[in-house]
Amino acid sequence: MSMLPQLLFTGVSIGSIYALVALGFVLLIRSANIVNFAQGEFSMMGAYFMVILFAGLGLPYALALVLAVVLMTVFGVAFAWITYWPLRDRGQVPVIISTIGASILLANLILATYGPSPQVLPGLFDGTGFLVGNVFMDSQYLSIIVITVVLVALQYLVFEKTMVGKKLQATSQDREMAALLGIPVVAMIFGTFAYSAALGGLAGILVAPILYVSVGIGAMIGVKAFAANIIGGFGSIPGAICGGFIIGIVETLGAAYISVPYKDAFAFVMLIVVLLVRPQGLFGERIAEKA
Amino acid sequence: MKLLEVEGLTARYNAGDVLKGLDLTVDDGEIVALLGSNGAGKTTTLRAICGLVPHVSGSIRFAGTQILGMKTAAIARLDLAHVPEGRRLFPGLTVRDNILLGSSNRPGVARADLKREVDAMLDFFPDLKPLQHAYAWTLSGGQMQMVAVARGLMAKPKLLLLDEPSLGLGPLIVQQVFRIISQIRERGTTVLLVEQNANMALSVADRAYVLEAGTLLVSGKPDALWNNDQVRMAYLGGLAASA
Repeated sequence: MSMLPQLLFTGVSIGSIYALVALGFVLLIRSANIVNFAQGEFSMMGAYFMVILFAGLGLPYALALVLAVVLMTVFGVAFAWITYWPLRDRGQVPVIISTIGASILLANLILATYGPSPQVLPGLFDGTGFLVGNVFMDSQYLSIIVITVVLVALQYLVFEKTMVGKKLQATSQDREMAALLGIPVVAMIFGTFAYSAALGGLAGILVAPILYVSVGIGAMIGVKAFAANIIGGFGSIPGAICGGFIIGIVETLGAAYISVPYKDAFAFVMLIVVLLVRPQGLFGERIAEKA
Repeated sequence: MKLLEVEGLTARYNAGDVLKGLDLTVDDGEIVALLGSNGAGKTTTLRAICGLVPHVSGSIRFAGTQILGMKTAAIARLDLAHVPEGRRLFPGLTVRDNILLGSSNRPGVARADLKREVDAMLDFFPDLKPLQHAYAWTLSGGQMQMVAVARGLMAKPKLLLLDEPSLGLGPLIVQQVFRIISQIRERGTTVLLVEQNANMALSVADRAYVLEAGTLLVSGKPDALWNNDQVRMAYLGGLAASA
């Protein structure tokens, strides 16, 4: 039991990464009403942009990080232009298939360029951390938690308290009506893709020093972030955050107390349990209530 | 002064032409009713004006600007508001936020001014005041219609398009809705009203157009239409009109 606080700290930190990527999922569900299965690859792309800028070009870490996030923003717009825009009026399924195709393409592009060997990136700070009681606060894990908390708070404020956030919600709920009110629907959707990609990219950069940078990082994070969405309630911002934390904690505790090789399975066991007990997720609304 | 001029408007869906060379005008300060049976092309006319019908030809001039072919949001920013059939509120947003979003066509307005405008709108619709923090999906049909009209008025429109505002409402609520339409005119807003309830529509309108199968059957002042046998029998109900 003495390990529990340390494991919870690690679990919350890893869960923060899933929460950030899950937030990207939710934003696109809420603004464009689509599920982007390449969301995990956004994390992989962010990490590889960082490899190019920091390890390849030798830029200072902070500058490389800012540029990588900016590049991810531009990448998000290009992604929307290619995978979403031509199919926007054809329903959800073609867009979902398009994002799955893009995910496969991106992973293989990286594989062809960098090969299967993992790349190494340093953390945000040089120091290794400090002790609080008997919990070692690793600086990278702590940075992930702090950045996630700040971003989540900012996103909540934007969505709930600003006109832009309300316009995004309106666009998600009824795109035609939003346009009738004069809301620039296209800009709203492309902006969401850009922010979503930046968020995913940042998650990839933050987790890179812990997991290493490899092609598989995208699929692993993406699938767990998707599971976080389902656990929290599809399309719910608080749900995505809590779902991310739950998966991070469950898989860390499961790995420590049950089995390391089955670490990834715990997230999906949790997903199955939630679907059986509460199919709408922790924060989801029952469909009947929406009618 | 002509605020809206529609000339030779033809609109087509996959099934064929819905509007076949429609002409109509709306003058500044008027309430103009668009009447006709189901499928006559009333709603399509409003949707074509707002840029929501892909295959249209002819001419639509609004406040001197040719708007045919313009994007829907750009047309809204010319201060043309549309309260569509079925209310189309944003169900996951509150009454207050739904009303606030009506101002989206005026992006430069300060936050404090918008708050004052929403408060003023809630004064104009006092029934909505206690419901302002309720989610739109929890409202009754009549309450939803009030919110939809309030949202339309938040655009401070030169022209308000109202599509079937009485649809699905009880008689007392319908009377309340039409009282509000009269009050909107008193505020100086021009209204183009599509309505199946021809009796109520003619009671508030300055002029009316009657459509049939996508073409104009007849137009004129309400008195003239009340006395037109063809219109009276087809759209106004013989007994009610002769009363």
